[in-house]
Amino acid sequence: MEANAEERIARMERDGRITPEQAAMLRASLGPPRTPDGEAAKRRAAGHRRWLPWSLVALVVLVVAVAFAGLGGGPETVQDVTQTLNQPGGHGEMNRTFSAVLAVALLLVVPLLLWVWLHNGLVSKEERVFEAWAQTESNFQRRADLIPALVDTVSRYLKHESDTLTAVTEARGAALEKLADLSETLIRRQKEAAEILRRGGTGVIEDETLLAQLYEAQAEVGRGMTGVVAVAEDYPELRSSDQFLELQAQIEGTENRINVARMRFNDAVRDYNATMRQLPWNLVAALGRFQRKAYFRSEEEAHNAPKLEFE
Amino acid sequence: MRRSSNSNRIALPLTLLLLAAAAAAAAVLVVRGAAAPGLVADEAGLMSPAERDRLAEYHAYLLTDHDIDYRVVTGRDLGEINAFAVQRFEAFAETGRSASGRGLLLVVDATQNLVRLEVSYALEGVFPDAFVAYIEQRQMTPFFARDRVADGILAATELIVTRAQHAAAQAGFEGEAWALGSGGAGATTTARLGAGAAPASPTPENAGHGERAAGGASAGRTPRETLAAYFTVMDARNDDPDLALYTPATRRMLRGWVMTPAQMDNVVRSYRACHAEAPRLGPEGRRAVIRYPIAERACAPWFFEKIDDAWHLDLTMMQTAIRFGRSNAWHFDLSVRHPYAYAFDDWTFDSHGFPRRRRP
Repeated sequence: MEANAEERIARMERDGRITPEQAAMLRASLGPPRTPDGEAAKRRAAGHRRWLPWSLVALVVLVVAVAFAGLGGGPETVQDVTQTLNQPGGHGEMNRTFSAVLAVALLLVVPLLLWVWLHNGLVSKEERVFEAWAQTESNFQRRADLIPALVDTVSRYLKHESDTLTAVTEARGAALEKLADLSETLIRRQKEAAEILRRGGTGVIEDETLLAQLYEAQAEVGRGMTGVVAVAEDYPELRSSDQFLELQAQIEGTENRINVARMRFNDAVRDYNATMRQLPWNLVAALGRFQRKAYFRSEEEAHNAPKLEFE
Repeated sequence: MRRSSNSNRIALPLTLLLLAAAAAAAAVLVVRGAAAPGLVADEAGLMSPAERDRLAEYHAYLLTDHDIDYRVVTGRDLGEINAFAVQRFEAFAETGRSASGRGLLLVVDATQNLVRLEVSYALEGVFPDAFVAYIEQRQMTPFFARDRVADGILAATELIVTRAQHAAAQAGFEGEAWALGSGGAGATTTARLGAGAAPASPTPENAGHGERAAGGASAGRTPRETLAAYFTVMDARNDDPDLALYTPATRRMLRGWVMTPAQMDNVVRSYRACHAEAPRLGPEGRRAVIRYPIAERACAPWFFEKIDDAWHLDLTMMQTAIRFGRSNAWHFDLSVRHPYAYAFDDWTFDSHGFPRRRRP
């Protein structure tokens, strides 16, 4: 967690602008990505799948090499070249053996290399999905880190106004109450979203239900932040200050990054899922235990999505 | 036969002359095009050809000096501007000219009245969203409001250059060629195209900077006092052209100017680190100059005129005689004669007008 965010939370708690429970929720939802174990497990699984085809290739190459070595016989053998010399119109013994070994090698190695190529292609596409998801998660974190700054900036301004402008104390008091409600909702939504991520780990992208829940939770966080910003809209001095302009730019920038990351994640998933369903990739996917990935979208979008994914 | 021979004799040099002229014209076109082919795509027709060329030329310097590939696209009905910028950026990335992945894309949608500056991954650390929003709102769109789109873009580019110079001088840029892509960094702002001048101060733009500096706006008894009052006024983002601390000619000039909040901030910020020398009075005691050591290249001198026993700031002569180079260092326009030249007798100037200390 950023030191700055921790300082803000501590200050808000000290000033009574957020409750200790809210402070604890904020602290818990911030910090580095919370799925290192899931990520590591996924990478280990991917690594496990990757060495399997190469070990088979190595085995086949070994078998072929041994067969070739066997052609020469033992060191003490004196070769009777008359047996292996080509006769007019016929094949020598050596050529026949060589052809047989070569045929076996080709029959084993070529399909295996093809399989390796297909497998690695699928692994690359899956990696692109993981990368796109990591980008999306990092943008969620970026947004979460902005929540203390947003609540702190707006509540501090309102409290200052409420303390200094006695003539409008009542109106400001109502605004403070409204802000407190909005902040409470926002912090709870952020906690829920963080819990879904924690619960799902990296596997969340293979669980359509969980990912849809996460989508809704993140959308709620976005709406919650918009609600707090809307409170500031009623105060021209706050709204037009450089500090708030900076904060607003960061929030809008983060929302845009989330949209871009979501679009790229869904593109990567579409490419990966479509490939998995095509021949011969589907055979490789089944043998390599590749899992279909879920799209990061709302239920409504999922409902309206085209059924066929082939382009 | 003879006539034919004569006509051949004339035709050959004429043809050669025409070919030479065509080659020269082509060379000019190539050189112009090479300055910045495709850097400015003004599909909405918001700029004149001369303005487009000026912009492209300036942005070509940005590429040469800082390896920043800065493109400009204007259009109408571009759809969701953030998505458009990301898609167009991806297309640009394929033909990107920056070896270190530094890319900027400015999109102006005239129909939606929106402007967006998209920033590549490699530049996110140097130009964070807040800075981009700041230059859009506080520097660029005040010009757009007066229908001076090219000037607004150029004014913002000046701040981009200043920040790029600081980044290069301090920690340096981060950047890899792959980072020319964009992840949605940047900011979108209402363009205020043709909206006219902002309402008189106090505006929302200067609200965050405290009280309007009415008390500090009078001319001082010394040049130093006047300059201090001017910095106070700038710090308060007071763009009133009729302040008493200006000379009458300066007031007339400022009435036609666009003075943006970012420009005013920049005056305060850039002079904070400057060490002023003692004021140098003119022969009749009616003029004064406050200048800075030559080594402080970004700190241009200030000119003052004494009217009714008070020292007034003369920005007209500064505007006429002083220029700033690409490295943000000031120099004189040597073709301009001005009454403040006496204050620089102990300096010499190179052929471009940059000051040098006179050798003893």
